[in-house]
Amino acid sequence: MVATHDTEAIRQASLKYQWMHNADWTEMAETGEPIVMVAGKGVRVTDSTGKTWLDAHGGYTSVHLGYGQDEIAEAAYEQLCKITFFPSGTTTVPVVELAEKLAGMTPGNLNRVFPGAGGSEANETAIKITRAYHKRRGEAGRYKIISRKFSYHGTTAGVLGLGNNATDFSLSDFEPMAPGMIHVPHPNHYRDELGGASPSETAIKCAQAVEDAILMHGADTVAAFIGEPIAQPPGAPVPAPEYWPMIREICDRYGVVLICDEIITGFGRTGKMFGIEHFGIEPDMMTMGKGLISSYLPLAATVVSDDIADYFGSDNIAHAITASGHPVTAAAALKNLEILERDGYVENSRVQGEYLKAGLTELMDRHTIVGDVRGLGLLIGVEIVADRDTKERFPKSAGLAARLNAAFRKQGLILQSDGNIITVGPPICITRDECDEIIAGVDASLTEVEAGLASD
Amino acid sequence: MVETIERKTFDTDSLRKSSLRHNWMHMRNWNEMAEEGEPLILADGKGLNVYDTDGNEWLDVNGGYLCVNVGYGRTEIADAVRAQMKALSFTPRGTTTEPVVRLSQKLAEITPGDLERSWQSTGGSEANETAIKIAKAYHKRNGEKSRYKVISRMGSYHGATGLTSWLGGRGSRSDFEPAFPGMLYAAQPNPYRPDAGGETPSEIAVRAAKSVEDLILYHGADTVAAFIGEAFCADTPYDACSVPGPEYWPMVREICDRYGVVMIVDEVITGFGRTGKMFGIEHWGVTPDIMTMAKGLVSAYVPMAATIATPKIADAFAGPDNVFAQTLTFGGHPVIAAAALANIDIIEKDKLVQNAADVGEYLMDQMRSVGEKHPMVGNVRGLGLMTAMDLVSDPVTKVRFPAELGVENRMAEKFAERRLIIRPRGLLVFSPPLCITRDEVDRIMQGVDEVLGEVEAEIGMS
Repeated sequence: MVATHDTEAIRQASLKYQWMHNADWTEMAETGEPIVMVAGKGVRVTDSTGKTWLDAHGGYTSVHLGYGQDEIAEAAYEQLCKITFFPSGTTTVPVVELAEKLAGMTPGNLNRVFPGAGGSEANETAIKITRAYHKRRGEAGRYKIISRKFSYHGTTAGVLGLGNNATDFSLSDFEPMAPGMIHVPHPNHYRDELGGASPSETAIKCAQAVEDAILMHGADTVAAFIGEPIAQPPGAPVPAPEYWPMIREICDRYGVVLICDEIITGFGRTGKMFGIEHFGIEPDMMTMGKGLISSYLPLAATVVSDDIADYFGSDNIAHAITASGHPVTAAAALKNLEILERDGYVENSRVQGEYLKAGLTELMDRHTIVGDVRGLGLLIGVEIVADRDTKERFPKSAGLAARLNAAFRKQGLILQSDGNIITVGPPICITRDECDEIIAGVDASLTEVEAGLASD
Repeated sequence: MVETIERKTFDTDSLRKSSLRHNWMHMRNWNEMAEEGEPLILADGKGLNVYDTDGNEWLDVNGGYLCVNVGYGRTEIADAVRAQMKALSFTPRGTTTEPVVRLSQKLAEITPGDLERSWQSTGGSEANETAIKIAKAYHKRNGEKSRYKVISRMGSYHGATGLTSWLGGRGSRSDFEPAFPGMLYAAQPNPYRPDAGGETPSEIAVRAAKSVEDLILYHGADTVAAFIGEAFCADTPYDACSVPGPEYWPMVREICDRYGVVMIVDEVITGFGRTGKMFGIEHWGVTPDIMTMAKGLVSAYVPMAATIATPKIADAFAGPDNVFAQTLTFGGHPVIAAAALANIDIIEKDKLVQNAADVGEYLMDQMRSVGEKHPMVGNVRGLGLMTAMDLVSDPVTKVRFPAELGVENRMAEKFAERRLIIRPRGLLVFSPPLCITRDEVDRIMQGVDEVLGEVEAEIGMS
């Protein structure tokens, strides 16, 4: 049962004391925000006034098993009653068990696990290991990192300059960026800057661009390539089958470490346990977060192949994170993974994902502002355009983000758009009926936004 | 009350083998651990004690990484986590939750001066990255976007991520090249090993503070975004627990004000009672523009950190065009906020800040009397329960022991024999949970006394 809450007092305290991410407290003061959430079960959350919402965004596509999984709460509790941390230089039982579990789940010889507390840290760790690895091989000159435009790999200084999502926000607030960041085209056929005529041609040209970048910079300066198997920020474009095998081959040819960022795509999000499994290759390192623990607590990990890790057995890197190897987060993650496997949610993600994507694709028949619907499993991107033929976007002045977000709110959907992309990524425990609710809610929202645009 | 958890039996050997095969532990080498029968794997904890998988009791002298402030086994925090997880385990996008808001308000109340608005994250590195990003963006909002450099102190530690791993420090970081642009290093106000010279703690403090101004003048104030320092250097091999003289922080505050440099105090270790006051900087009576915290904020029961700013800084980000563009999935997480609230409640109810001051004073007395008996103890220092003995081969030159003598390994073995968990590294840091008693101090110091004596005898120093 939801207790009564003094919503207004909490709201006022939030506006005064809380620095919410990516939100303007002066605007929220006027709109009656922020909404204060107090309870959750499955895909639904309830606010302090008793209103229930459907979280179609799944908490930044992270709450894979949905809200209210009491088993995870009990597992965390039990561990908290045993040992809550680890003295310097020691380890604990659940951390060891989780490392072994992840080594077993991940492909190939990804066998050694460096835990962290968030995706940014996991990618920072991957990059630090990569550079130190090359140094141990006598190739200290390799420090540059190749990433794809429109990708996102985190917000701390070593990873902030990876990806380059210029349509979302400018990084100029945080200059200077870390040195050695190389950006290549994203394999997004819908908006292929290299002009590929087919998805395969886009994939091949974009993979080729990686090799071109390596040749231009010199392989002896390039440490790693990093990419999400399917990237969420550009609206989940699924690269054609040629892309990842070519990337694997290019990285091998030039001695470049291949890092797959599975923070969003991991643990069933795309209908397979890891997103890269759709493409049949194995990376040298994999980073993970979010679905690893369905965000019940902060946890991430960097899983490293034996070929790389073996260089560090007697010569570790000076890289200490307080929460690296935390017994409570490990215990919660073990329970999360147990439920994920036991209850068949990876398959559910595939099945419901297909259904939801088909339903959203059908909306294109009625809504001309939808330019494209794409994705895999329950990672779906809906792209909004002003003109379907030219794929032109709405100008910022049209206020599409505000219009869409207000409409979603009216429909009781937790869903936010930047005006160009709507990311639909509900908990992967979602049912078919709940998918129907999302489709109907998005349908009604688009109708309202189109009516609003027409009446302007 | 505490429930008795039934102790499981473990197959320690196979756990250890699994750890050596799959677990990338920080700062340990798995090849070496394999030879030494490590790592030690722990299964339970209570107060200062932890219990390994074979049932042996150990005393954790450093409270994890100086973070388990309330001690192990406080089930109030376990209760808070379970209750919040069952109610709501995450904050949906664009919304907030009650524990996050209540914690924000609580932090505004307990931090010094007008520190008011906090950005909650999951670890000290993130908190410091956030602080630096806020400082840079703040200057840009004020039309001073040429300010990007950050001054830290040699020997300090502020984190392991892209920018923070280049703040402070001594020794080589060449594993992580290229260096981050715009990193400037001022003198550490270490009264025992001063970078900028000086005879008395006051003179050393003044010189170290002046080195900050010198850097600003040399680089041009219009290029300097921020200064960052721990209230006092907490856990590094060279400068740990060196407490600057009273002049230092007021001077640094004044210099930052004069040149428009954002002053960030890193309370990741020194916060939440560790030094005998709620925050370390309170010993100097100044208020920073931004303060970062982690560890003791939640006694590391779960990962948690925060960055708190004054209205002067935060107000620059009000308005739709001024939003600070940073998202962390686990930023503003209701479960860890609920845990932090329960933790702060324990610190206040059990008067752990006062206990840290009182028992800390007793600890320092015991450290001094042990130190006087042993020539290898060059210096005893600290505040509250953030204390260290600096180990030297010669008290006049203050030179450390050559690696080939193996002093640290000898000590580590002898501490292990006594079931004390301390990792010597040029110095011995004592930073137990704040609930420590005088009896426990005696037990630790007896062990330290014996170990120092045995090692001195072995290396012919006594």
